[in-house]
Amino acid sequence: MSATTTNGRGGHAAPVHRFGRDLPPRLLGFVMNLPTLVVLALVLAYPIYYAGYLSLHKVSLVQLRSGIFPFVGFDNYEKVLTDPLFLLSLGNTMIFTAFVVTVEVVAAVAIAILINQQDVWTSRITRFLILLPYAVPPIANGLIWAFIYNGKTGFLNRLLYSVGAIDRPIDWTANPDTALFAVAVPYIWRTLPFAILLAHAALQGINKELYEAASVDGAGGWHRFIHITLPLLMPVIVVLLVLRTSFAVAVFDEILAITQGGPGDATWVASWYSYKKGFAPPFDIGAGAASAFILALIVAVLALVYVKLLYRRVD
Amino acid sequence: MRKTPLQKLLLHFANLVVIGFILLPMSAVVIGSLLAEKSLAGDTRSIIPGEITFDNFRVIISRGEQRGQVFEQATYLPDNVKKIYHALGNSVAISLSVTFLTLVFASLSAYTIVKLNLRWVAWLLSVNVFARFVPIIVLMIPLYVVFRQLGLLNSIWGVIIALTGFLLPYGILILVPYFASIPKELDESARIDGCTRFSAFLRITLPLSTPALASYGAIVFIIAWNDLLIPLILNNRAEFMTLPVVIASLVGDVFVVFNLMMAICLIALTPSVLLVLLLRKFVVEGLTAGGVKG
Repeated sequence: MSATTTNGRGGHAAPVHRFGRDLPPRLLGFVMNLPTLVVLALVLAYPIYYAGYLSLHKVSLVQLRSGIFPFVGFDNYEKVLTDPLFLLSLGNTMIFTAFVVTVEVVAAVAIAILINQQDVWTSRITRFLILLPYAVPPIANGLIWAFIYNGKTGFLNRLLYSVGAIDRPIDWTANPDTALFAVAVPYIWRTLPFAILLAHAALQGINKELYEAASVDGAGGWHRFIHITLPLLMPVIVVLLVLRTSFAVAVFDEILAITQGGPGDATWVASWYSYKKGFAPPFDIGAGAASAFILALIVAVLALVYVKLLYRRVD
Repeated sequence: MRKTPLQKLLLHFANLVVIGFILLPMSAVVIGSLLAEKSLAGDTRSIIPGEITFDNFRVIISRGEQRGQVFEQATYLPDNVKKIYHALGNSVAISLSVTFLTLVFASLSAYTIVKLNLRWVAWLLSVNVFARFVPIIVLMIPLYVVFRQLGLLNSIWGVIIALTGFLLPYGILILVPYFASIPKELDESARIDGCTRFSAFLRITLPLSTPALASYGAIVFIIAWNDLLIPLILNNRAEFMTLPVVIASLVGDVFVVFNLMMAICLIALTPSVLLVLLLRKFVVEGLTAGGVKG
C-alpha cells in the first residue's frame, strides 16, 4: 500500500505512477478487503461454524477446563427440543414478536403520516423528538421501565394516582398473563423510531400530485389513504415486517432488566434461554449453543425472505 | 388540502400523545435520579415526592466518598458504582475505536464492491446482507469460547474486535449505495491525471462521502455505546466493564435503590441521546439508507 500513498499532497502535479503502478484489480480488491475479511472471519464466520460444532458436542465447565469436547451427535438438540422450558420460550418469543411487529408497523405508518403534516406546528416537535428513544441504551431503557412499572414506588402508579385513575397500587409486571406485554411496551418504545423513519422516508417519496389529482376527483382523506398512501407504502411495510421480526425474535436487554424471565417463567424468551443455559449454572454450553442455533435458523429464513424481497423490488 | 379546525385539533392531540409517550421514560429517569430513597418510599403517590437532591450524582461522581444526606446511613455501595470512571473511560475508548475501525474497514470494502468489478467481492456484499441479520446472542457462546482460547477475555481489545465485526456489515451496506452514487467520471479523470485507484479512493471518493461517513459513524458510535451483550460476556472484571455492564450488574441487587439506578442510567444515556439530537440529520440518513436500499 505504501506505493499508492507516496504521491503525498498536491498529487495533481505528481508524475504518473511515480512509484509502483496501480495494483491489478484482483490484488487491490484482496488487499483492500483484507481487514474486513479477517474481522468477519474471526467474529462471524468462525463463531457461526463453531456454534454448530459446540452444539454437537458435550461442553460444560469440566470440558472447558480440560479442553476436550466429546462428540454427542444431536443429543443437545434433542435435549433442547424436548425441554418444556425451551418450547415455552420459543412460544413466548413468537407471541412477543407478533405483538411487537404488528404494533410497530401500524404505529409507524400512523406516526409517519402525523409527522409529515407540514402545516401542524406540533408535528415539528414530534419530528424533532422522534429519534430520541433510538439513542437510549437498551439496558438503561429496561431499568427505567423497571422503575416505571414497580408496584411499590413505581412512576406509572404515581402518574395514575395523580390523575385519579387508580386508588390502589398495581404491580405491572407481576401478572404472568400480561408480563410479556409489559416488557413489549419498553421494547416498542426503543425500536419504534427506526420503523417510523423508514415509513416516513417512503412517505416523502410519494408524488404529491397524486394526492392533488385525487382531491380534485373528490376523494376524502380516508380514500386517499386507502388508494394512494397504503399501496405505495406496501414495499416498505413488507421490509419493516421482515426486518423488525428478525430483530425482535432476539430481544434480550429489556428482559434482563425488567423481569429476568419472571414472574415464574412467563417472560422466558429464546435468547434468554440460550443465555441462561450457557452462562448460568450448570453452564451447559452445548445445549445453549444448540438453542441459539435454532434461533439462528429462524432468523436465517427471515433474512432469505428479506433478500428475495429486495431482489424482486430491483427487477 | 386545507384542514378544518377540528382536524387540526385532532392532529395536535395525536402529537401530544406521541410526545407524551416519548417523554414518559425520560421524565421517569430524570425525576427518579433527583430523589432520595426516603422520599420514594415515604410517599408512593406523588409524581415528585419530597425534595430534589443531587446526592445520587454526588455519591457516584465521588466514587462513594461523598455520601450526602441521602446515603448518610447507607453502609453498602456496589463496587461497580465506585468504578464508574473506569466504566465511563472504557465506554468512550471502545465506542470511539469501534467507530474509527468500522469506518476505515467498511469504506475500504465498499469501494472495492462499487469500483472493482470482481465476482467474489460482489459475493462479499451478499454475505454482508445476511451477516447483518445475525443476532449477537446467537454468537455469544462460540465467541466466548473462541476469545477464551485466544486470550481476549477481560480486555478492551476483545470487545473492540467483536463489536467491529458485528457492525461492519451494516456499514458496508450503508456506504455501498452512497459510493455508487458518486459519478464515475470523477474517479476516472483522477486516474487519467495519474492517481492510482487507491489514491483516487483517498482523494475523491472519501472526501465526497463525508455525509455518509458521518451518518454511519454516528450510528456505530451509538450502537457501540449502547451494546450490553458483548462486553457483558467477554469481560467480567470491574476494570474492563462498560457503562451498560455496570447497569446490568445492578439488576437483581436488592440493596440498590431506584434513585441511584436512575442516576446511573441518566449518566449512560446522556451522551448518546445528545449525539442523536445534534446529528439528527445524519442518523436519519444512515438509518434509512441501511434499511431500505440495503
